[in-house]
Parts: sequence; structure tokens; C-alpha cells
Amino acid sequence: MLPPVPSGLRWMAFCAAGLLLAAVAGGLAQSGAVAPPTDVTQLYDTSCASCHGTDGRGHGPASDALTPRPRDFTSGTFKFRSTASGSLPSDDDLYRAIAHGMPGTSMLGWKGILTEDQIRALADYVKRFSPRFAAERPASLAATPAVPSSPASIEKGRAAYETLGCGACHGDGGAGVDAVAIGLKDDWGHDAFAPSLDEPWSFRGGRTAADVYMRLKSGINGTPMPSFADSARDDDLWHVANYVVSLARKPVWDMTAEELKAHYARQAEKDAASPVQRGRSLVATMACGHCHTPVDREGRGLPGLNFAGGMTMRLQVWGDVVTANLTSDNETGLGRYGDEDIKRAITRGIKHDGSRMLPFPMGWPAYAHLTPQDQDAIVAYLRTLPPVKNQIPPPARPGVFTYLTTKFQMLVGGKDFPIVIFAGNAGSAGNPGAAAAAAQR
Amino acid sequence: MKRIMKWIALVVVVLAAAAFVAFLYLAPPLMSTDPQEFVNLEAAMAPAVDGIADPAVRALAGRGRYVLLTTDCTGCHVTPGPQGPLPDMYLAGGRPFTTNAHGVVVSRNLTPDKETGLGARTDDDVKRVLRSGVYPDGRPIPHNAMPWAQFSNWSDEDLHAVVVYLRHITPIRHEIPPRAPGVADALVPGALEIAAGVNAGKR
Repeated sequence: MLPPVPSGLRWMAFCAAGLLLAAVAGGLAQSGAVAPPTDVTQLYDTSCASCHGTDGRGHGPASDALTPRPRDFTSGTFKFRSTASGSLPSDDDLYRAIAHGMPGTSMLGWKGILTEDQIRALADYVKRFSPRFAAERPASLAATPAVPSSPASIEKGRAAYETLGCGACHGDGGAGVDAVAIGLKDDWGHDAFAPSLDEPWSFRGGRTAADVYMRLKSGINGTPMPSFADSARDDDLWHVANYVVSLARKPVWDMTAEELKAHYARQAEKDAASPVQRGRSLVATMACGHCHTPVDREGRGLPGLNFAGGMTMRLQVWGDVVTANLTSDNETGLGRYGDEDIKRAITRGIKHDGSRMLPFPMGWPAYAHLTPQDQDAIVAYLRTLPPVKNQIPPPARPGVFTYLTTKFQMLVGGKDFPIVIFAGNAGSAGNPGAAAAAAQR
Repeated sequence: MKRIMKWIALVVVVLAAAAFVAFLYLAPPLMSTDPQEFVNLEAAMAPAVDGIADPAVRALAGRGRYVLLTTDCTGCHVTPGPQGPLPDMYLAGGRPFTTNAHGVVVSRNLTPDKETGLGARTDDDVKRVLRSGVYPDGRPIPHNAMPWAQFSNWSDEDLHAVVVYLRHITPIRHEIPPRAPGVADALVPGALEIAAGVNAGKR
């Protein structure tokens, strides 16, 4: 049943990306079995800092992989508030974010995991990162009573949705079809995504009409989403909120088999229409950057080397292998290769020059199961990565003596050598930021 | 005559030794295997969803299987055996990773076994780990030992499909030890992490 893989080596075939994934140790200094600490600094450092950073700048070691990026507390700019546009959030807003989390993101709801006191203490703690909280007070908004949803209200909301130009980002009819493709940026320079309004389960600030009304009223600070408090009548905002709530489609967990079939077919059509977006999503979730971005000793990506390769992995017998530069650079990256070359490497483990890759740590035996459409999408997205010049050295074979003795132990003794993963960039771009980091220490 | 025999014996021994060294040197480990065999094995390990009676659940699980398969979860979560990963221990965990920051992290048992796997965990518990790297009691999971930050980019619907599929793979009793304290001294200088092929779990 199993293919004839030489003994003692087969396991390694499946270490594949897993090893790399596990590679970059960083971040949370926490031993396993301890209950959440009571001291608030320690609690923050344990529970929050891997994303938000110990200094609250939203640059924690896990932050690079997250979409959206974790909040930068130092700016005092908070997205989901019940306060006036541009204002600080209220204490209850902060409590709500921590207790109930942000649906659709890594920010979980801590209610039930931490105590009420701990959540309140954290809400207070994050205010310390910005001087604005000492100098200003949150400006409250005069919210009007809810307008109950009705066909008439929804119809008025649909009209107001057009008048207010919501479709410019969220798509006609709120389906958000092209919303993600329009290149929005937030105040921090990161990509901003206008959500599809028919998927309310991923609304960060909540999915009720009151939640949506509040987004329209207070805006989402730091993003292209403005406040309509001054530019629209309040009852129109309620109508729009009712309209948006009415757009909700059925989520997959409520669908019948026929509906699922139609849904996934539609999904595939959408993906085919916007391959770069689909490829971006695949590259993010398949964790390509996990090995193809070199890291420092903290497991944090080296600045300016996103997807530029250079991470060294020692595979006994085969030597030190360095991850490839996936950026579009014409001399050192994928810019040199055709689409078919790239797809062959990803799905067959065969490099552009015809040489073979091991079935690990690069998990091409798994990636081979991507549909042709998804493979094309990945290539389309990789083509858009900004070029970074980082010449990757060829694999460094061990000396003949080491090679022979190691191979003897593997083939005859059945010994499984571990795979060792190293920090730093082995490519020509060196280790940017290393000198600065050393000086800081 | 005796002398000739001696010489012949010597030559045979030398030739045999040289041949063995040459074999060691030239034998291309794994590289002679057809790539398709690795690809086939990868798919063979992941149980098909055909046996699921409810057609809606089957469709969801099918989507989850596609996501899980193409994300290479097997890389860490298939139990390592003495001769390679054990295909009949699909996602039963047990591979130890020695890190300098987090001690020895062992890949968990993802099968629906009630006592040693995910059987007793709620869907929300599993989703919270996949998206935020936090256990139900608040303990964080190192983001690089388990790439939850990357997996957080799955849509809610794909995340749900992955969990549905995990509920339908073969339950395997395989106890995984908790994370052990750090062993930084054991690391090769400059290394971040060492991944071993020894099973740390107990059947």
C-alpha cells in the first residue's frame, strides 16, 4: 500500500511544512500549566503581547501574519466605539472588545476565560499606552432610539445606501463583490478590507441593527469608513442598518447539501474572477511566509524580507538547505521563472533546473492536491509580491566524511536525525535590523 | 597458493568496502521515488468523506478535507514511527519539537478520541485554538509552534468546515504529554528549533 520509501527516511517526508511551521520559536514566555496570572502587566504580556506587543504598538511577533493587523494602542485610535468620530473609545467599548472579541479575527472573546476583574483591568491597562487617554475624554454620541425593521424601513435603507455611496466600497447591493479588490489602506498603511455585507457573522463590531447603526454613526477610526453622523439623517442611518441586516445570506453551517454545492460552485467562480485575491488568501493560510521569511531569534520576521527566503534548515545527509526567494525579483526571486516552473516546484518538488526537492520540509506532496485553479491563483499572487533582492545560496552539502557516517547511521542503523532550523537570513541581503536590535540590547 | 588466496581475499574485502562506501555515497535517498507516490500517500492518509450519511455534513467535511489536506497539517500531526510517519495514525500527534523559547512542544492528537483527542472539546474550543492560539483555560500556544496566526486567515466558513472534517476522522487513543520546560542548552548554536522523528505520545 505504501510506496517503497527507503527505511528510516519515510517519516521525514511528512515532516514537511510542519517542521517549518513549528520552526520559528518566539514570543510568549509562558510555561504550560499555570493559570492566568493576576498581575495585570504579566496578564497582558501573557495573553495579549504575542499580537499587540509588550509595548502596545501592535507589532507582536505573531502580528505579521494577521489580517486585520492587531490594534496599535499607542495611537489612541480605536475602530469600534460608541463615541464620536475621531474620539477615544469609552471604557465600555474597550471592555466589549476584550470580553466579546472581534468576530472574524484572531481577537477572541475573553469572557469566561478571564474573570470580569481581569478584563476590566486589561481594558484599563491598554489605555496606558497612549497619552491621549490622560489628556482627553471620549466624546459621547447622541444615539436615537432604534427604528424597528420593516419592509418599508429596509426599502428606505436601500435607497439611502445608494445616496450615501456605500456601494463604492461595499459593492452594489451590499454583496461586496469587488470590495476587497479596490486597494483601500488604513491609517497605518495596511490593506483595509470592506466587508461583504451579506456575511454578518464576521462583522467585527457585531451584527445587530444597533451595532451597524453605531458603525455608521461613529465611523471606524483609522480606516476609510467615515462617520455619517453629520452627513445623513439619523433615521436614515437606522434604515441603512436595517437594510444591511436584511442582506445576510445563509452561512454554510445552515445550508442544505444542494445549497452547499451551489455555494461552493459560486465561490469557485468568484475565485476565478479574482485570482490575486484568492492566491493571497491561500498563501496566507498555507503559511508560505512562515518559512520563506527569515526571522530573528524572537521568531519575528526580519524587516523588508517578507517572502524573500533565506531561512536555513539543516537536513542531515542532504545538508543545509535555504528557503527560496518568492518575491517577483527578476534576478534572485521568482521573476526569473515561468508559471509552469513555479507550479511544478509547488506540486511536484522539481526545481526550475530539473533537480528534485525532498518531500520535506517543503510540503509539495500536500500542495499537489490544490486544484489547478488554486495553483494558478497562488502564482498570480506571488507575481504581485514587491521584488526584494536576496540571492539565495545553493544547498550546502556536508563534508564527505560526515555525509558517509550520517548516511550509514540512517540507512543501516535506522537513526532518524532531527531537522534543525536556524534564525537569520542566509541570503545576500544579510540581516537588516540585526545591528539595531543588538544596539538596543 | 595460500598467498594467492590471501591476496584474493584482501582484494575482495577492499573491493567490497569500496563498493559499500560508493553505495553510501551514491544512493540517492528518497530522490529515486516518483513524486506521485508521495502525493498519493498524502491523500491516502486523509479519510474520504463518502461514508458520511448526512449529505450536507458530507459536503462541509469535503471542503474541510480539501483545506486541511492542502495546508499540510500532516507535516506535524501525523504520529512519527521508527520507519517514518504512521499512516494509520492520521493526525494522532506526538511529534516533539525542541525550541529554545518554549521547551519541548509536542504536536497534539486531533482525532475525535474523547480522552486523548478533541472528542471532549467543543467546536468553539477548537476554533479558538485554530484562530487565536488560546486553550479554553486561557493558556497561549506559541504562534510559531502552531501557526494559528496564519490559520486565522481562514474564513469563518472554511474554519467551520475544517472542524466538521476533524470530527469525522478515525478516533485514535494516543495520549500526548504536556509541554515540557526549556532545554536551550540542547540546541545547536544559532538554532531556533529542532524537530525530531520520535513519538512522544502513548497509545
